[in-house]
Amino acid sequence: MNEQPLHDLDTLRARQPRFRGLESGHRACQGCGEALAARLTTEAAGPDVVVANATGCLEVFTTPWPQSAWRLPWIHSVFGNTAAVAAGMEAALKQQGRATQVLAFAGDGGTFDIGFQALSGMMERGHDVLFVCFDNEAYMNTGVQRSGSTPHAAMTTTSPPGELRMGKRHMKKDILSIIAAHHIPYAATASVAYPSDLRKKVRRAMDTEGASFLQIHSPCPLGWGHDGAKTIEVARLAVQTGLFPVIEMERGELIGTLPIREPRPVSDYLKLQNRFRHLFASEYRARKELEHLQAIANRNIERFELRGVGPETYDTEGADTVHRGGDRWA
Amino acid sequence: MALALEGSQALARTVALCRPQVVAAYPITPQTHIVEGIAKLVADGHLACEMVSVESEHSAASVALGAAAAGSRAYTASASQGILLMAEVLYDISGLRIPLVMTCANRALSGPLNIWNDQQDSMSMRDSGWIQLYCATNQEAVDTTVQAFRIAERCELPVMVCVDGFTLTHTLEPLELPTAEQVDGFLPVYSFRHGLDPADPRSLGTLVGPEHFSEVRHAHHQAMMRAQTEIEQADADWAAVVGRHCGGLVEARGDPEARLGILTLGSVLGTLEDAMDSDPELPRARFIKLRSFRPFPAEALRRACEGLDHLIVLERALSPGAGGIVGPEVQTALIEMEEPPRVHNYAAGLGGRDLSLDLYSRIVQAVFGAERPREFAIIDAEPDLLPESDR
Amino acid sequence: MIQIPPGAFARPGTSLEFKTGTWRAERPVHQRRAAPCHSACPAGEDAQAYLAKVEMGDMRGAWETVVAANPLPAITGRVCHHPCESACNRAHYDESITIHGVERFLGDEALRQGWSYPVPIPSADAPRMAVVGSGPAGLAAAYHLLRGGCRVTLIEAMPAAGGTVRTAIPHYRLPPDVLEQELDHMLALPGLDFRLRTQLGRDVSLEELRADHEAVFLGPGRRKGREGSADFAVPGNLRTGLQLLEAWVAGGTLPEQPRSVAIVGGGNTAVDLARVLRREGVEQVHLISHQRVPAPGVPADDAMRATYREVSQALEEGVTIHEHRGVRRLILRGERVVGMELVHMKKLEDADGRLRRVAFEGTETVLHVDQVIPAIGQDVDGSGFESLVRRGYMEVEPWWGTVDGQSGIFSGGDARSDHGTVSEAVGDGRRAAAAMLRYRAGKQLEPGAPPEPIPYSDLNLSYFETAPASKEPVLPPEQRLGLEEIEGGLQANAVRHEAHRCLSCGDCLACDNCWTLCPDQSVLKTREVAADGSHYVFDYDFCKGCGICAHECPTGYIRMIPE
Ligand SMILES: Cc1cc2nc3c(=O)[nH]c(=O)nc-3n(C[C@H](O)[C@H](O)[C@H](O)COP(=O)(O)OP(=O)(O)OC[C@H]3O[C@@H](n4cnc5c(N)ncnc54)[C@H](O)[C@@H]3O)c2cc1C
Ligand SMILES: Cc1ncc(C[n+]2csc(CCOP(=O)(O)OP(=O)(O)O)c2C)c(N)n1
Ligand code: SF4
Ligand code: SF4
Ligand code: SF4
Ligand SMILES: [Mg+2]
Repeated sequence: MNEQPLHDLDTLRARQPRFRGLESGHRACQGCGEALAARLTTEAAGPDVVVANATGCLEVFTTPWPQSAWRLPWIHSVFGNTAAVAAGMEAALKQQGRATQVLAFAGDGGTFDIGFQALSGMMERGHDVLFVCFDNEAYMNTGVQRSGSTPHAAMTTTSPPGELRMGKRHMKKDILSIIAAHHIPYAATASVAYPSDLRKKVRRAMDTEGASFLQIHSPCPLGWGHDGAKTIEVARLAVQTGLFPVIEMERGELIGTLPIREPRPVSDYLKLQNRFRHLFASEYRARKELEHLQAIANRNIERFELRGVGPETYDTEGADTVHRGGDRWA
Repeated sequence: MALALEGSQALARTVALCRPQVVAAYPITPQTHIVEGIAKLVADGHLACEMVSVESEHSAASVALGAAAAGSRAYTASASQGILLMAEVLYDISGLRIPLVMTCANRALSGPLNIWNDQQDSMSMRDSGWIQLYCATNQEAVDTTVQAFRIAERCELPVMVCVDGFTLTHTLEPLELPTAEQVDGFLPVYSFRHGLDPADPRSLGTLVGPEHFSEVRHAHHQAMMRAQTEIEQADADWAAVVGRHCGGLVEARGDPEARLGILTLGSVLGTLEDAMDSDPELPRARFIKLRSFRPFPAEALRRACEGLDHLIVLERALSPGAGGIVGPEVQTALIEMEEPPRVHNYAAGLGGRDLSLDLYSRIVQAVFGAERPREFAIIDAEPDLLPESDR
Repeated sequence: MIQIPPGAFARPGTSLEFKTGTWRAERPVHQRRAAPCHSACPAGEDAQAYLAKVEMGDMRGAWETVVAANPLPAITGRVCHHPCESACNRAHYDESITIHGVERFLGDEALRQGWSYPVPIPSADAPRMAVVGSGPAGLAAAYHLLRGGCRVTLIEAMPAAGGTVRTAIPHYRLPPDVLEQELDHMLALPGLDFRLRTQLGRDVSLEELRADHEAVFLGPGRRKGREGSADFAVPGNLRTGLQLLEAWVAGGTLPEQPRSVAIVGGGNTAVDLARVLRREGVEQVHLISHQRVPAPGVPADDAMRATYREVSQALEEGVTIHEHRGVRRLILRGERVVGMELVHMKKLEDADGRLRRVAFEGTETVLHVDQVIPAIGQDVDGSGFESLVRRGYMEVEPWWGTVDGQSGIFSGGDARSDHGTVSEAVGDGRRAAAAMLRYRAGKQLEPGAPPEPIPYSDLNLSYFETAPASKEPVLPPEQRLGLEEIEGGLQANAVRHEAHRCLSCGDCLACDNCWTLCPDQSVLKTREVAADGSHYVFDYDFCKGCGICAHECPTGYIRMIPE
């Protein structure tokens, strides 16, 4: 199997026909969805950007000094201030009359919870910043604790199932509605399972003047307890069950959805992940929570009209297809 | 030309002369007038600057951090709770060696709530790795602010200019503002070697493990120690421009022959000087004005204390359960003198407690009087106001 | 030594110093696997490969890929029962690719454009090989020998090439001009010495052929009518189905005009003759078959040997089929047949597990017809090589076609007992040619088998959209009167649509998925073709072995193997 490589890999790497914002050699777990999401995001954003990155896995696995996996000007300050750091960079660049775009990267903890105030302020002030939330639904960097984004009933180290509990008691925070209430020009959700859609949204957000927001569903094999090879499958199922609606908003109005062709039962999604294992026990409360999650998915499908009718149902702008020769839609 | 200006207004105008490109602030008494003044200058078109009115001090410091890292001169101001809310960001700014300037309008910390002047807020940031310069007068505050930008940018370290709340910020004093030409000549255009630049895309704020962290801290410490030269140089250079200096790192004033020294930070100095001058009967004292608390100028301090028998360190903050904050540091620094003075450490004027003229006699009494207080004391505390057990 | 800059900033892309490849427990490798269409094609065509070329717009390249296995795609595209489509993975998703339509289009296009076969001109001292019979088996053998650099002597007893395809397949299924053009095209290849009206055993002996050639391929087909039937004795005056059909194909007329006819048999001859009789105005045409009408789900050994398509078109055209029926006896009025007694029958497993036809007593019925035509198959006419024929067939090694007990003699096509289609004949000819080349080179012949196909479950279907298959235009039954071809071809855009629908089973389609989805940038894309034939290279310095690429590869082209 170890035949002589035909290519000088260094040269080949340097000649890849896409921008590499995030280089190999980072230390994310095998199959990390967040690493992939960050790679796709930076790829679409291109080199003329500056990035502020919250504390979290992404920061830690990319920059153990003296190494950095970034090929972008990048700064990590603390956990909760990313939107503000980005706002400062934006203010500076604006004042300098430069067109360089500003990105802010944070985990769900750095977005839904500790970073939320700064994010809200940044959006309220209308900084021309794209804030990207890499949503892996828990505090992963500190060892999988529940966050405001952790889905209902999921097991984390701080929402363990037990005699009295079935995982997280509360609901996943509906962050996009909160973001929408800021009336920003562009807000969207995306998933690593739909890279074309994701990249298109990054570009769309960057083309929009003012604050924009992108929440990327990024499975975490370690924290969710699934096979790293199935990161995309898990992400895809989250979308196809309706548990993670992929939608787009302008000024708080829904302008687009990634339609679900054939909604899948939530159990298809849940059973791949250890964090939901307790829902498959043969007891009443497990069945109840399973149904609860199914009801949440159904409600999402209703609320965002994810199902659609007629041929439009199939119009995904090519987000979920591939073609010979790689001519993905985006 | 001397102007009668409220300290905050003078500071606002001085900051504007330094041409910051990004100012971020969140209101807190007694800092408000400063940023209001800057906001007005921006609104009136006198200052080309992004004025970012953030939603918290945590963000104010963060915006300033981001702006400075992205290549713009940045400024913020705060006080008290605001400083505490900024705390983690302040450590980060200095650790990343990002140059920016902040005014701390010194105020007590909660709880209980108190909005008046003492220096517990900036003292709580003693170990944050920021340069801290304390101002005795509004004139010094003006001149120190201009110098602070140059120091920060040359040393790649953030500078906190500490100005006593109300006592200075809200007081009308005649003072001289520099001209734009003077400031422009003194302060070069902002540049930050390690900034964020797509043409040279560095990663700032990396994860540094045990194998390198001590060296990073060592380098930070060395940079702070080296900053002493820069602080003195800036003061001297600025004096050459405007004819005023602020006393470098530490300044000895009053009676050079006196065997008694009184060390202070900030505006209390004026009160003590006035008190001594008002009564020739009182023992004479040499006043040691500690301008640079961080870096701590041990060498300069020893020189300033040469020939003293007693040194009273009068602070406007304390470390409950230990005593003074500055006092022990001073004592440690002076131990290396051949004949170090005896150091007495008191706190006074906490939470805006009025520093009346008799403060001088009270502290002198404390040192030389019959009833010497314990090593550290809040000298102006009234035990009668407390239940027996707390006296 | 590395020195720490102020604030410990880091330089871009320095993570490349950290080789995450050491974490790997499994590594991804590119591994082309045979598509089911390829494995199932009796001729050995790689439909996946040529569909890929079609999709890239390379029609000529696609045709060249086809003729790398089968020189007669215009013919097979029309007459093959396309098991490739039955095997096609896409059938599990929505509908199979209309592979034969694409094949036919390419065959026709080559004739329209005059593309020449990629066959070298043999050198003067090229080895000489002999081929007997110019049916599809013989033609394929000759063609592949030419491709292999040989000179070939091809002898044919009849005055024209093509074998049964020419003599028996009706023109409404295979227009004569298509047949003529494609045969001419192939027979014009340099190095081919084609001798018509030259019959082995009559004009030349096997020994003579062997003396002048390095090896001999026998593709005589089965052209000798059977003497008897399992069911009933065939009276001497009855003409067999094949004779009637050949007469009709050659001259366009039938000797008699009965009102009702029963044809006994379920093969191609029976069905084609039934349809011809309908075209000739015979009102009632009955087909009596031991088996059932072929349909999805009907086991192969219980289905009529004619193809599903032919049988269903026959039904559309008004032929009556009596399934699971046998003939007890003929009812004669003097010399004339006036009907027959039929009985229900079925194949059942006997005590030894062998399938045995059982007639059920008490189920007898009588069918009155003007004429009964047996169409129950033919045997090899082994005159001149009798010793090689056993029980009417040539016994051969199934893969290479080596004739039992002979060296240097190979056979295939209808001559062997288990094959009865054009594409099987082509495949036999192709493999035998390879065997002959190896035989000449003195190489061993390892037993072979079609490649193991990639199962549907190894594909990732998430990346495809459902899309209906393009269907060829078919004449409505009422218009199928003359010799006009019933099925039209696919248009170019329909052909491209089919190619686009192809899932590219087991072969990289350069979709970029692995390149796009690797969290570690360890899949690198090349403009040139990489060592393994794809456009992607794994950088094992960094690949952590997560397996996303393998899991998400739509075509199953990536496999994880333990380190
Ligand atoms: C009516 C009918 C319809 C059919 N329809 C289809 C169909 O739709 N699809 C399909 O796939 N198959 C069909 N078939 C079957 C198909 O025609 C045969 O399987 C195929 O032609 C076999 O090819 P072959 O080369 O083995 O034999 P043949 O095609 O029979 O060719 C044998 C050749 O060898 C010659 N030959 C024989 N003996 C000698 C000799 N001693 N010396 C020299 N030459 C000799 C013969 O003259 C003949 O030309 C049909 C068959 C029939 C009868
Ligand atoms: C103020 C503060 N509190 C807590 C932490 C510890 N901490 C670091 S990262 C992290 C969790 C990050 O979670 P998230 O934002 O979801 O990112 P992830 O690691 O999951 O990608 C926590 C709690 C911190 N660094 N700072
Ligand atoms: S813990 Fe999860 S988010 Fe963090 S690096 Fe591993 S897979 Fe990625
Ligand atoms: S989908 Fe394409 S490659 Fe797969 S079996 Fe069908 S024709 Fe062949
Ligand atoms: S994922 Fe696509 S590009 Fe990669 S090997 Fe499979 S077919 Fe080829
Ligand atoms: Mg998280």
